[in-house]
Amino acid sequence: MTTTVRKIKKQSNFEITSWKWMRYSAVALLPLVWIHVLIKDVIVGVHNIDTFYVRDIWAIWGWKVYDILLLAFTFAHGVNGLRNVSMDFFHSEKARKIVDWGLIVLWVLVSGIGALAIIAGARPEMLV
Amino acid sequence: MDISLKVFRYNPEAGRTKPAYDTYLLNGVDPTDRILDLLEEVKDYHDGTLSFRRSCAHGVCGSDAMRINGVNRLACKALVQDLNSNSITVEPILGLKVIKDLIVDMKPFFDSYKSVMPFMINDDIPEDGKERLQSIADRERFDDTTKCILCAACTTSCPTFWSDDKYVGPAAIVNAHRFIFDTRDQAAEERLNILNDESGVFRCRTAFNCTEACPREIHVTQAVAEVKQAIVSGVIK
Repeated sequence: MTTTVRKIKKQSNFEITSWKWMRYSAVALLPLVWIHVLIKDVIVGVHNIDTFYVRDIWAIWGWKVYDILLLAFTFAHGVNGLRNVSMDFFHSEKARKIVDWGLIVLWVLVSGIGALAIIAGARPEMLV
Repeated sequence: MDISLKVFRYNPEAGRTKPAYDTYLLNGVDPTDRILDLLEEVKDYHDGTLSFRRSCAHGVCGSDAMRINGVNRLACKALVQDLNSNSITVEPILGLKVIKDLIVDMKPFFDSYKSVMPFMINDDIPEDGKERLQSIADRERFDDTTKCILCAACTTSCPTFWSDDKYVGPAAIVNAHRFIFDTRDQAAEERLNILNDESGVFRCRTAFNCTEACPREIHVTQAVAEVKQAIVSGVIK
């Protein structure tokens, strides 16, 4: 037996976008995180990772893009989760807006600084 | 069997302005006695000032939802033998203001319920002028959510509701679901608009407390997810 399908006007607002983002970013994070864990922890091993390894890996633009995406997606996912939790503590609309914008600025800053560091790459010879 | 019944007490009218617990030792309790029976015994033979809500005493009216050994249950459905303990603690449900002993102010709960328009909206005249027909499948679609008795066990077990009483809560969403998925109703879009709000359905964090607490075994979290899906996809099926 099938039920009647009805269509309504598709809605859009910040809450929907935020909810969708949590789901889409989680799906994107699955391959990003697992490939990262597989390579760094299993294949290479964390004890073999030093600045020379980082220099070599970040010499390849594909890995630079990968790491920037990993950072941005993971942090955005976490920041959005933090936004949800913060709503338990901030009840007024004004306070929630301030927190929302604060978290967006934090995300842009951390992702931006991280992206710059990745693009600049590692220079182990500077440490010697 | 002997039972040690610890009950939350707060009664500003009788000068008990500080919340505290009273413990009553009840002898000769039958394992098949309900918690409501124990409360009645305390009220009749130990302390007549003990206050709690009860009405039908058969799990239908939803008056006597309370926290029994830390879990939201109906006092008239929870049996002593189900708790596997000789020590039982009874407290009011969380997140609503305590008025007296086990009685809480249900107004915020019913305000949320009313906000989703929990009634059939259809201004068309039925084809035969008498009744609006519906297929068996269409009726079954929302069968589960028709079972709600508005006891508030789900809403007051929800962590989001504990911290934010503006959150509409699972009971209101369940009752909205009952009409949103009813093909005879014409106000689904309006209800979904109400729930698509900062205090609406997207505040649900899928803790599943509501599903565990429901004395009617409604799949509350699933109903909430279906409402979310209808808002996001624009499809009610």
